[in-house]
Formats: sequence, structure tokens, C-alpha cells
Amino acid sequence: MIRLQNVSKIYKPNTGALSNVSLHIKAGEFVSIVGQSGSGKTTFAKLLFAEERPTKGEVIIGDWDISRIRQSEIPILRRQIGIVFQDYKLLPRKTVEENVAFALEVAGAGPSRIKKIVPQVLKIVGLSDKLGRYPRQLSGGEQQRVSIARSLVHTPKILVADEPTGNLDTIHSMEIIELLKRINEYGTTVVLVSHDRDIVNALKKRVITLHDGEIASDIERGKYMI
Amino acid sequence: MSFFLSALRIIRFAFQNFFRNFWLSVITMSVFVLTLITVNALIFINVLGSATVQSVQEKVEVSIYFEPDTSDDIVKSAQGYLLGLSQVRNVTFVSAEDALVAFKEHHQNDAVILDSLEEIDGNPFGSALVISAWSPDDFTFILEAIETPEYQRYIKKKDFTDYEAVISKIQNLSDRIRIGGLVLAGFFILIAILIIFNTIRVATYVHRDEIGIMKLVGANDWFVRGPFLLEAIMYSAASTAIMVGIVFLSMRWLEPWVSTYFGGIDFSAQQFFLDNALLIFGSQFLVLSVLGLFTTMFAIRRYLRV
Repeated sequence: MIRLQNVSKIYKPNTGALSNVSLHIKAGEFVSIVGQSGSGKTTFAKLLFAEERPTKGEVIIGDWDISRIRQSEIPILRRQIGIVFQDYKLLPRKTVEENVAFALEVAGAGPSRIKKIVPQVLKIVGLSDKLGRYPRQLSGGEQQRVSIARSLVHTPKILVADEPTGNLDTIHSMEIIELLKRINEYGTTVVLVSHDRDIVNALKKRVITLHDGEIASDIERGKYMI
Repeated sequence: MSFFLSALRIIRFAFQNFFRNFWLSVITMSVFVLTLITVNALIFINVLGSATVQSVQEKVEVSIYFEPDTSDDIVKSAQGYLLGLSQVRNVTFVSAEDALVAFKEHHQNDAVILDSLEEIDGNPFGSALVISAWSPDDFTFILEAIETPEYQRYIKKKDFTDYEAVISKIQNLSDRIRIGGLVLAGFFILIAILIIFNTIRVATYVHRDEIGIMKLVGANDWFVRGPFLLEAIMYSAASTAIMVGIVFLSMRWLEPWVSTYFGGIDFSAQQFFLDNALLIFGSQFLVLSVLGLFTTMFAIRRYLRV
């Protein structure tokens, strides 16, 4: 599903973020990417949805080598991958319903499809009663659930969550992780970038540890080991 | 289908942005309106200046006085000849009798002059022609043209010399107003462009995070740009409409004052703006829109690299 081959990323002028990383994530897996600040976790996530491009090596999603993806192809890639961010990245002047619908609208989905899917995904995340609220009227946990709902509208094969619990308290964090687990159970490959020891240990899933841009360990049913 | 669907959505988002960022829209439009008012004030001052100069120019007349014994037929023949010149706007015939009556009326309270006139016993005045030209520049030509062998010997006096300095001053003032107006207009237009450029850049900067989010959820560049471009046109249209209202209200208020202050000028600023509405306001809307579109494209470019 996701394959990285000898991937290195160097930011200008000369800051190495990833160094010769190779890994393979199979379809349906739930993988946690852990590591200290500056270990390359976020760069790794950004490579998966082409916010960054590798300086060297190949990033392959399905059969698509996105290492040298053209600017015009990036929206097509992003409509196939669900992305969840630490800061939610919701459009502040759109309601919950509009934020979720926006991801479908940019892809040219028809009104009937939008009318059908948006309530469905908002029901999955438990926000059916807050369609007309603006992000500022929601708690952090609710905003993150909107972000997850938005990432689900295209029924993505891959969901990349970059520190989704970074701004949340423990209770809300666990709610979000439960949601991600449920999404994974439906068959979506989940890549969770996190530095939350408790969450990663509670998951009992594959853990890839990055250290100074290199893979320090890659363990099935692993633990946070830094 | 997909294209029209996207177009409709872009229009909807533009309207949403416009009204949901109400205060940003108000501030942006205020800057636009103030800029346009400055430009229109400049147009008004220029047009008023030109109208004043033109009015004074139109009032300049040159008189040709004929010898007292010249027959009216000859003077009227000279009048016909002058009217045939393309530079001449009008020629009024003043008979010797009319000149005497006018002189007496003018000096009715001056007993010495009236007594002197009695002493002369008879009409010392000859007929005269009062000439107005399309342009003060033409007087020299007109007065030279009348000096044909046919009429020259009947002409007693031409009072052009008295007006020469005035005409020259007016011409000078008129040229200065025109050049000054152009320089000032150029200066203001440059400032206006910079202000609008910066206002749009600030408005786009405020939305930089949203632009990034749109890109991250799969929007292509045109889908992100579209509402911002449309918003720039909406700002331009709304600002032009507000400015048109302000201009006509101000003109209504200013007009009585202008006609009192510049008494006698045949000029209506309201009528001028009405007659040239499409050209003045249309071109301002067009320039504002093009500027807005160009600036938006330029300002948004860097935020699209996500």
C-alpha cells in the first residue's frame, strides 16, 4: 500500500530530516510512527500526501510513484488520502457541515452525493447534532472529529493522522484513537504520527521509531521505546 | 457539468467569503471607495477648472470700430465676411445710434461727459462689430483677416491690444491647469494603485491558512483562486456603486455653491458625471477590477504552494 525506498529529505540549505528510509506498510495496517521532536515524523507524514517531496528515493502509494508528482496531480492524490492534523485545519468561516462537504465539493461531487455522504460521516464521528456550528463553537475534541469526518468523505484507502491528539486532553485523545481504530477495522490503512507514549502503547499495533531521520526500530505490536 | 458545478460553487464561496468576512470586506471597500473619491474629486476639479477657463475665454470679445461716416451696408458686409471665417463664433453688429445710446446710458450720472457730448453736436460714434471667437488664439488671425483693401480704410480702431494680455494669461492658466491636472492625476493614480495592491495583499494574507487548508483537502489551484478573484470583482463593483452614490450626492450639494462662487459659468457637474457616467465610472470599475484580479493572482500565488 505504502512503500518508501531509500528516501532522504534535506531541507534547504542543508538540514537533513530523513535519511535513507525504506519501509513497507501493507493494506489495512495500523502503524504508529513515533520519535522525538525533530526525528522526521512530520516530514514522513508530509511525504505521503505530497506536501513535501523526497530529495532522494521513491515514495509509492499503491502503484503510484509520487516522488516527482506534478503540481496538477497533487489534488487528485489528496482526494484519495484522508489527512488529519494536530491543529485540525478546519475552515473557520464554514460550518461543520460545510467543512466536511468542502472536501467533496473540491472533487466535483454532485449535490445528491454530498447530501448523502456528509450526514453519514458526521454520524460516524458523533456530530450529527452540530452540523450548523462553526469550528470556534466546538471543543478541541469535536473539531478533531470534524477533521476526521472530512478525511473520510472519499472513503480513503489510507488515512494519515499527524499528531491528532497533540492538542487534546486524555479523554478526548482516547476518543479520537478509538475512532481511528474503528476506521482501521473497516479496512483503511492508518498511519498515526504521535509522540504520546500512552496512546501508542495502548494500541498494541506496529510501531516504527524514527531517530535523527533514520528508522531506529520497526516492531509488530511494538511499544514506545524512547 | 463538472465545470458548471465548480463555477457555481466558486460563486457561492465568493459570496460566503464576502459576507462572512464582513468587516474585512467593509475595510477593503472603504479603502477602494476613498481612493475612487480622490480620483473623482480630481476629475471634478479638472473639469471645473476647464469650464472656468472656457467660460472666461468665451467672454472675451474684440471690437472693431468703423469710421463714423461708414455706411451700415459696408459694416454689415464686413460682418458677413467675418461670419464666413471658421474661427469666428459670433459677430454682433452695433449701429452708431446704438453705440450712442449705450454710451449715454453708461454715463448717465456723469454730467461733464454728457455736456461734452452735447458740445460736439451730433453722433461721434461709428458702427462697430463685436467679435467672439472659438479660441482666443484665433483673434490675431481674425483681425488680420479683416484688413483687406475692401474694409481696411473704414476701420478706425481695433481694441485687441487691450485683450492680448488677458488672453495670453488665460491661455497660460488653461495650459497650466491641464498639465498640473495630468501630473496630479498620474500621481494619484500611482498612489491609488499602490493602496489597492496593498489592501488586496493584506486581505489575501488574512486568508493564507485557509488557502493552505483548501489545498490540503484536495482543492486545485483554480478552485482556491476562483472565490478570491470573484471577491475582488465584487469589492470593485460594490465600491464603484457606493462611490457613484457619494459623487452624485456631493455634486447635488456642491452645485449651488459652485454656481454661486463661479457665477455665470455654464457648467453642471451632475450633468457632466451623468453624461460621462459609463466612461468615468465604467473605466474606474474596469481598472479596479483588473487591478484587483492581477493583485489577487499575485498575492495568492505564494500561499498555493502547499
